[in-house]
Amino acid sequence: MPEVDESLESFVARAEEWLVDNVPERWKSTRGALSTAESDEIRHEWDRTLWRGGFAGLSFPSEFGGQGLGLAEEVAFHVLAARAQAPDGLSRIGRLLVAPMLVRSGTEAQRERYVAKILSGEQIWCQGFSEPTAGSDLAGISTRARRVDGGYLINGRKIWTSFAQHADRCFMLVRTDPDAPRYHNLSVLLVDMHQEGVTINDIRQASGAIHFAEVQFEDVFAAEEDRVGGEGEGWRVAMGVLADERGGIETATRYVEIRSDIDLLRQAVGSDPEWSDIVDALEIRAETLRWHLWKVVALDSQRDSAEFARAVAVLKVVWSELWQDVTRTGWKAFGPQREHWRFNYLESRAASIYSGSNEIQRNIISERVLGLPR
Amino acid sequence: MTDIIANTEPSELGVEVAGAIRELAARSIEGLPISSYIEGASPLSWSEIADGEWDQIGVLDDGEGADLRDLVEVAMAWGETLLPLPYVETVLARRHSEIAQGAAGPFTFALPLPTAPGDNAYVPFADHEGIRILVGAGTPDAALADVPEGSRDELGLSLRGREVLVVSSLSDDVAREIAVCLAAESVGAARRLLEMGVSYTKERVQFGKPVGSFQAVKHHLANALIAVELAESAIIWASRDEHASGRVVASAVDGCIRAAELVLQVHGGVGFTWELGLHYYLRHMLIVRELVEGLLLSPRNAEEASS
Repeated sequence: MPEVDESLESFVARAEEWLVDNVPERWKSTRGALSTAESDEIRHEWDRTLWRGGFAGLSFPSEFGGQGLGLAEEVAFHVLAARAQAPDGLSRIGRLLVAPMLVRSGTEAQRERYVAKILSGEQIWCQGFSEPTAGSDLAGISTRARRVDGGYLINGRKIWTSFAQHADRCFMLVRTDPDAPRYHNLSVLLVDMHQEGVTINDIRQASGAIHFAEVQFEDVFAAEEDRVGGEGEGWRVAMGVLADERGGIETATRYVEIRSDIDLLRQAVGSDPEWSDIVDALEIRAETLRWHLWKVVALDSQRDSAEFARAVAVLKVVWSELWQDVTRTGWKAFGPQREHWRFNYLESRAASIYSGSNEIQRNIISERVLGLPR
Repeated sequence: MTDIIANTEPSELGVEVAGAIRELAARSIEGLPISSYIEGASPLSWSEIADGEWDQIGVLDDGEGADLRDLVEVAMAWGETLLPLPYVETVLARRHSEIAQGAAGPFTFALPLPTAPGDNAYVPFADHEGIRILVGAGTPDAALADVPEGSRDELGLSLRGREVLVVSSLSDDVAREIAVCLAAESVGAARRLLEMGVSYTKERVQFGKPVGSFQAVKHHLANALIAVELAESAIIWASRDEHASGRVVASAVDGCIRAAELVLQVHGGVGFTWELGLHYYLRHMLIVRELVEGLLLSPRNAEEASS
């Protein structure tokens, strides 16, 4: 169990030791050969293992069942877990997005019903925001939730839904009022995915991998008490979620992946001086990203400061474009691990698009951080 | 694994001194643009620095005092105005020499240039009244010397340097601290430039709208912010990790130069005029980049360091 006022260094030591003992050997050594069902089972079990070990919800408030630690511990743990080749659990959306949203904007009853199940890995969640006709223009969604006795009936389509195939519940942005003005016509609903009318279709990406799905909702029910925030307040609730999505935790995991790609690239190019120079430059960018991330962590206690806003706003653009440069270089080196670089090059093309395209990120930086006119 | 956590914060001392220096500099320029003071008399006199003992802040007492991260914080604050005074140079000279600690300032250094023929060195603020060079800083042969005759450098007008014939090697440690602090000045200068770019594009109207409302202009400034943020992170890294290579310091200055280029671009025609003075900041970054190359990266310096 964590000690009171444990230092960050001793947390890191404790987490490292725990990861050595707990990351499943089968995952580390043979994950490429596992069937989807086997791999899903290991990933789901990993969520429960994290909870039993006291490493789920690290920066989540202790009064709601989290560990009550800071962003520093959360970031350090994600770096350590990625280095230890820990599985990527299935409960990421629930832990990182839904639980904090319920603390901010949910009711006491919603927190009691969901938070413990999310943290323990018992319940898997997905996020229903984007739609085929509303991507960057999120406020333009058209999935409709009509009032019925005791709640809402939902009709529409959501796209780019990660974990939909595994999810027990979905938190959705829907249009509850067809007549109210933009930004005041939306609500957030918590929807049971195991009901009739929910149809899930895989989306295969350019790389061949399947990370997303398209989900169709036909007369799907959500109860009144499963609305987060008031009717028409969905945009405000969603904005809080998007701020969490673009934070430092995601960058921590990405840094480790990028760093391991750079190490692989260095092995591949050997001592060739021209290539070494190129790899050195990429490595400096990756390590600068790590120092930048810790700048964000240090500023986390001043969340309202301009310094924090500036530092955190650039993270997504920086890691996604760095990763793309690394995979392009890896492919162009025409060395060993050909399959790895072909796949990662194609895979990385998506990084500057999902979670808010880099064009939208730059709009956010210039309008909300620098204060330029719309 | 020790390279998980990175401590990026300066100490309280660094924050305090940086705040005081920022205030002192801002008060002295009274909101005037850089073009009004950079080539003339400094609006802040050296005696105000010396009387306030602001040039003593890097002196270590039994190893206690400001660390390089703190000096970076101070140099960034100084870089926002680029007052033409040998402040950062004197702080570093006092930090690394007992001789300088016991003598009246200001001080400067003879810094190796990457491309100069022979033993040419660059001496910032060579013409400042009463200034002396700390030669051989960080070595057993450290001494104070008058600035020899030489040719005035026309690039870095903010540094007011002279190219002179001086054979003077600095220790690796001193060379690194000088390079890091000069780069930190550039980060402060880049932050100031970015502010200028933002306020100009909010006010300048074309096609009936502020040009800052056009997405192409916005994205230039977003990229400038990204460059400045990463430059700051890189220089913080270089100040905290003695194994960080010279290329890390160079990358920080390169980021500042990139930001300056973008800020010039969004100013349109007025951006490339002498009068507006954006070029003073850019010139500062260019000369600093040359000095970083000479101090940490050029083969000549690397040979000396290894011999």
